Amino acid sequence: MGFPIRRLPARAWLTFLGVGWALIAFASLQYFQPGRIAPFIIERMPLAFEKLWRASLLVHVVAAVVSFPLCLLLATRWLQRRVRLHRPIGRVAGLVVLLALVPSGFVLAFEAKGGAPSTIGFLLSGVIVLVAMVRGVAAARRHDLRAHQHAMRHVLAQMSVAVTSRAMLIGFDFAGVEPTLGYVTALWLPVVGSALVVEWMNTPSRLSLSHLFKSRPLAPAVPLERSPS
Amino acid sequence: MIGSRSFTAFLLAISLSLSAAADPASLVTWAKGRVQSGLLQKLKAQDGERSKFSRGAQPPRERRARIVSSELSRDAKGRGFLLYEVDVLYGDTWETQLRGCVYEKTGNLFVAVGEEHRPVAFLFGEDVEAVPGVCEVSPPADRS
Repeated sequence: MGFPIRRLPARAWLTFLGVGWALIAFASLQYFQPGRIAPFIIERMPLAFEKLWRASLLVHVVAAVVSFPLCLLLATRWLQRRVRLHRPIGRVAGLVVLLALVPSGFVLAFEAKGGAPSTIGFLLSGVIVLVAMVRGVAAARRHDLRAHQHAMRHVLAQMSVAVTSRAMLIGFDFAGVEPTLGYVTALWLPVVGSALVVEWMNTPSRLSLSHLFKSRPLAPAVPLERSPS
Repeated sequence: MIGSRSFTAFLLAISLSLSAAADPASLVTWAKGRVQSGLLQKLKAQDGERSKFSRGAQPPRERRARIVSSELSRDAKGRGFLLYEVDVLYGDTWETQLRGCVYEKTGNLFVAVGEEHRPVAFLFGEDVEAVPGVCEVSPPADRS
């Protein structure tokens, strides 16, 4: 049983996202210091609905800090093989995303830095997560594991924007790119790029190609015989 | 010892303020120095503590303070102040990021947040409320 090199890119990607999540979570502690206002909030003020926006920010941060690592965990083969564990964790992640992460994100989008292009970008990302999560849950309930995997990849891909977008922002700052242009670009490229990558991963030609080279089994990630009848 | 030093500093500040009041050029120099020490230096110190993994704006390459007018304006209570602006450099472009005012005598600094003005402590994370009437020019007849 050698080291599965063909899974190295996927593992490296999940590790990158996990490290990114930890750094973002640590940076988000500033939002919870009593009597203090974080620099990000100061920049956004004045706000039309300040209390609603600030409450939404806290809900969004907590929901993201909880749901992102759960989604990363759910994307691992290890958990996908353990259906009895995968299912309840998936339910928790789904509820947090649908009831907290997406609604609060929609509120925040309307006061996004960068104006209308950023607002539309964040809303698009939220709609992709919302639709994909609902379709993914429905697919799981009818035991269509291929469709479930496809949908949940879209959810994770849009969540990964939190990390890739920040990485691009750091790069743009280093390169001296104008901040607003950099912010909008660092939002749209990962949002659209992530969605396209997921669709590319699901194209029949790629699936047949991967099957040809045996780089990835075509069987569902969760073995059908272990799913409930 | 500390008390006498504080008193000396106080006298120095008063004398500088009085001499500044007498001469517009020195008044501008004093106000610019006050914005530099009370705002820009603290913002620079704060930049070093900020996480790069926040969606907040990255610190600018440089900041500079400008005093908008060399003559004192007066608010509704008759207190004199000077308006300032802070420009920031991102890439090769300077843009105005902050506006506010500095009060003569007290040296109190305020920053505009929308239509209102708050003490600059707001920029350093303190949840301070807006102060009504500050930094707003009032006609002589309206002053109390």
